[in-house]
Amino acid sequence: MKHFKAVALASTVSLALAGTAWSGEFDGIELKMLAIGDTSVTRLAPIVGEFEELTGAKVQIDQFPYPGLIDKIVIEASANTPSYQLMWVDSPWVGVLGESGALQDLTEWVKRDAAEIHLDDIIPIQLQENTWQGKLLAFPASGMIWHVNYRKDLFENADEQAAFKAKYGYDLAPAKTWDQFIDIAEFFTRKAGETLAGKTLEKDFYGNAQAYSRVAGAITHDFFPIMRSFGGQYWDSETGLCAIDREPGLKAAEVMKKLVPFNPPDYLGLMWDIRTGYMERGEVAQSGYWSVRTVRLTNPNEAVLPTIGEAGYQPSPTGDGGPMETMTGALSFGINSKASDREKEAAWAFIKWGTSRDMMRRFAEEGNGVSMFHKSILSDPDLQAKYPYYKVLLETQETAQRRIFHPFYADVEEIFGVELNKYMAGETESAQEALTNGCTKINTRLKVFNQDMRLRWIADPKAEIFN
Amino acid sequence: MAYIRKRNRNIFLVFMMPAVLVLFGTTIYPMIYAGYLSFRSYDLAKLFVPRVFVGWANYQEIIASSEFLHTLTVTFKLMAMTLSVQLVLGVGIALLVTQRLPGMGIARTLLLIPMMISPVIVGLVWLFLYFPELGYLNYFLSFLGLGPYAWITSTDWALWAIAIADIWQWTPFIMMGTAAALTNLSPEPFEAAKLDGNSAWDVFWRVTLPQIRPVLISLMFLRAIDAFKIYDIIFVLTKGGPGDTTEVLSMYIYRQSFTFWRMGVGAAASFVSLIIIVVLITLFFKSLNREAHQA
Repeated sequence: MKHFKAVALASTVSLALAGTAWSGEFDGIELKMLAIGDTSVTRLAPIVGEFEELTGAKVQIDQFPYPGLIDKIVIEASANTPSYQLMWVDSPWVGVLGESGALQDLTEWVKRDAAEIHLDDIIPIQLQENTWQGKLLAFPASGMIWHVNYRKDLFENADEQAAFKAKYGYDLAPAKTWDQFIDIAEFFTRKAGETLAGKTLEKDFYGNAQAYSRVAGAITHDFFPIMRSFGGQYWDSETGLCAIDREPGLKAAEVMKKLVPFNPPDYLGLMWDIRTGYMERGEVAQSGYWSVRTVRLTNPNEAVLPTIGEAGYQPSPTGDGGPMETMTGALSFGINSKASDREKEAAWAFIKWGTSRDMMRRFAEEGNGVSMFHKSILSDPDLQAKYPYYKVLLETQETAQRRIFHPFYADVEEIFGVELNKYMAGETESAQEALTNGCTKINTRLKVFNQDMRLRWIADPKAEIFN
Repeated sequence: MAYIRKRNRNIFLVFMMPAVLVLFGTTIYPMIYAGYLSFRSYDLAKLFVPRVFVGWANYQEIIASSEFLHTLTVTFKLMAMTLSVQLVLGVGIALLVTQRLPGMGIARTLLLIPMMISPVIVGLVWLFLYFPELGYLNYFLSFLGLGPYAWITSTDWALWAIAIADIWQWTPFIMMGTAAALTNLSPEPFEAAKLDGNSAWDVFWRVTLPQIRPVLISLMFLRAIDAFKIYDIIFVLTKGGPGDTTEVLSMYIYRQSFTFWRMGVGAAASFVSLIIIVVLITLFFKSLNREAHQA
């Protein structure tokens, strides 16, 4: 029955799209996409042949790991003759790509095709994530939030609850504050031979796994959401210079430092995928990360956890326990501004097809969910039952904050990646020293530019598609 | 006669031309262009950053940078760690494989294998060994109730982890050169030393070592240049981390050029690196000349 529903839905999508003016419209066009090997692309890559059947345009998706992908995109963007017409874009990259004129402005196309792409159904922050100076430069293919995944089965275990209450004096529940998060991490950190939920552990169990690696600035991908949860900002609103070394940044660095003893011994090398791997294998009690990989926790083909326990999902904790504006992000598709007009039209047709609401629903129905960005999908009760994290995704994005989008983002990511990693490794004595070092290095590069330009780079005018 | 000489010179030039063109295209022109870039602000990623002449600013930035000095220190530290162990092991193994014992020929051939593997592959092999959760090293140590150890993500171990991989790959180079030198030594001084009743250690220290010293200096010098350029193994194993524990000069150049895309600063750092290597070469030849005069 499930299979029948999926086939029926696929047929509906194909028939619906075949009914548009696309049929054979792009015969002879060949599109190449420079992309990541992540759920926003891996779900789509095997079925691009369907797009060719519909439109005549042939699509080839080249998938690369995240570290180094921006390098390839930057080289592609600086070349006069494009090899790739389509580019996968992580939303923090829109600044550098936008200021360099590397991406096609999609604003007018989106306005023109608003009804076809169900613009009103897309969570607005996901579109805003892809804007630079009000222009929409990429279209969401996967909408993310930074949130906490935890071992629901362990949190609901009566013995563990009693032991936690006895030790900390309050009930064991998903953390609302970072202090609680640290307590929980400490509580669940156990050695092999100790007991966890009534079972003797064969190997060490960890209270937490976060990204601490300096590689590709991985540590900043967890540090920045925590900093924002303390109310921190990246930039000084009056000078446009670095503000990461202020109190919220210090608190975030100290939270991460306090969590070190409860992380696996290779914590300094924990990249995004290694850190999520611990959660997917059920070897940690809780871990904060981007929802783009949360989808795997519900699929027994992609994670061990669904077979040995159950994952729970929770918005990010905050400094004071009050509701926070969740950190959001978008993994998107953009068009190379140097592609020919016909290639651009075909590329836009591909983006509409590959990110359409029907396509996203099809992925969800087939069990290959991506991190969604359509309100109707995230609020669908059947899908919420299948993917419990949809509820968190939907609710938190109502008041979500945009990620960093500065043209010097790569510098920020790399410099703070190293400085924070040094602090976590004990090479730098204090969080203040680490963050001040980072800000000094960034400011040296930014001060070359006048203040007006710096302030323009941190301005976030509302996307013109909403006008 | 003059015609033949002129014709021979022309033929000589024609035959030389392909090599000269290749050398110019792959070495001389890139070097000139890098020199030109080193005096410019040139950001490959940020097309909005003005690409202008900045004089010596890139060089001044590098020399004043604590980061650069740190990478230089790490480079020399790693060089000292690898070269010292490679010298001792390489000479020791060479002494062993040059003995007239059964199987030494095969052993010598097998020992050369690591040297023939690409450094990236060597890095990957050692990554599989060192990997904290799934690595073979921690797996076998777990049988002894030890670990898991964070070999490549611990500030105490990471540089040694790289050094061990480099030692594994390049000790055969020292062994091969030393073995060649040992087999070419004249037997008379050894026989005389034995007749005088010298111990094996005395024979090695007073007879063997002085004779192979020029070869060892050459081998160590070549390894020192390689150690100065080490990149692949570090890129695969640690990428300069944890913190900046394993960030060597070549990683610094890579980060400036291909992470920050500051091609001008990267080019200037390459030239500083080149100057250091040239100084090393000069010192080496001076030391060789001194040896020759003393001999």
